[in-house]
Amino acid sequence: MKLTRTPSYKAISGALWDSNPISKQILGICSALAVTVQLKTALVMSLALIFVVAFSNLSISVLRNQIPRNIRIIVEVAVIATLVILADEFLKAFMYDVSKQLSVFVGLIITNCIVMGRAETFAMANPPGRSFVDGIANGIGYGSILMGVAFFRELLGSGKLFGFQVIPQSFYQSGYENMGLMVLAPGAFIMIGLFVWLEHTLLKD
Amino acid sequence: MSKALKSFSFAIIMGIVCSLLLTTASTGLRRYQQRNIRIDRQKNILQAAGLWDDSQPAAVGDIENLFDESLQTLFLDHTGRIVSETDRKPEDLPIWLYTEGDLVKAYVVPIDTSGLWGKIHGYLAFEADGVTVRGFTVFKHSETPGLGGEIEKRWFQKNFVGKKVVNAEGDFVSIGVAKGVVEKMVPEEKQENYVDGISGATLTGKYLTEGLADILRDYEPVAIKFRRNQCGKVTLCQ
Repeated sequence: MKLTRTPSYKAISGALWDSNPISKQILGICSALAVTVQLKTALVMSLALIFVVAFSNLSISVLRNQIPRNIRIIVEVAVIATLVILADEFLKAFMYDVSKQLSVFVGLIITNCIVMGRAETFAMANPPGRSFVDGIANGIGYGSILMGVAFFRELLGSGKLFGFQVIPQSFYQSGYENMGLMVLAPGAFIMIGLFVWLEHTLLKD
Repeated sequence: MSKALKSFSFAIIMGIVCSLLLTTASTGLRRYQQRNIRIDRQKNILQAAGLWDDSQPAAVGDIENLFDESLQTLFLDHTGRIVSETDRKPEDLPIWLYTEGDLVKAYVVPIDTSGLWGKIHGYLAFEADGVTVRGFTVFKHSETPGLGGEIEKRWFQKNFVGKKVVNAEGDFVSIGVAKGVVEKMVPEEKQENYVDGISGATLTGKYLTEGLADILRDYEPVAIKFRRNQCGKVTLCQ
């Protein structure tokens, strides 16, 4: 069997490109708007989400034949909520400043449709290994858009990348100004819209 | 086993496993989290006193050292006498003195007041004249992000610097948040007692104004001492 025909390859390429959770399925927009002012918060948020999707997919897939059908959604939510609280506790213990900036959005991963969607549609029907890979791929799919949006928002909005000034002082002296819109939520909306447009145009060809 | 019983037992086992995991994580990490919270508060006190500024990243140890070197944690009894941790009574209020040698340069009071959705926690620092604000910070609040939540931003906090808690006659009037820009909304003789408000956050401003008045009135006994220059040295306040 060719590599491109394997179920794992399909799961990964789907998550990263053909049906990217943000730019194709338009899921997880709320957090994508909120945490993309800086690359640092976007990166930490992406890592937290990758951790949660990967392990919720793994544990639900391991339990998929035991979970009683009538309470499966409750079980899925309980697994996801546990993982999200774990991620939040770790951030509070080791990355306090970032966790303060992310505030409620780490907790809100619980309600992120990407996590629930993958658990319900993929992990309930696929073996643990493949589900774990699918979780990581979807997390990266989400994270890649987040980082892309954050890159432009931080660069245009505050002239920095990862907190380091990249637009030289001489630019400001000769009249260059940071784009205030990019720091606000509407800037993220426009940025995500451009990403969606870009992906749809490229996919059409 | 009936279907219902199976569902019940699965749910119970699931609940126990999840809660065990969370309890372990929470107790195991509490020590680190509490240290972070303590340092965050120290950072905010230093920032209010103008001794540290957010723009340069500092190592955790630096903050602790700077705090221990420059600030003394003391308490204020109802007569305005400043006492140390060991002599404090439960109702005494905390106060931090920024000292150079034995001269008091500034003092910081904690601000814990109601906001619109929950408590607002922060610090307000005064110059040793007992009148002029040196800095203001907020480290915890539940106001609406983008509206009342702007109280955590530097642009709002910077407005407090240089404002006064007394009017031209020298009577206590506290500091208020104006509805809009001070220069347009407040008569000229009161402009020193008001800071610019946040648009869309009238209620947050109202609660903060009320809270500041209550808290600063409690600290008036010591502020009066500073105004009369009776507290220039730590030993004199005691």
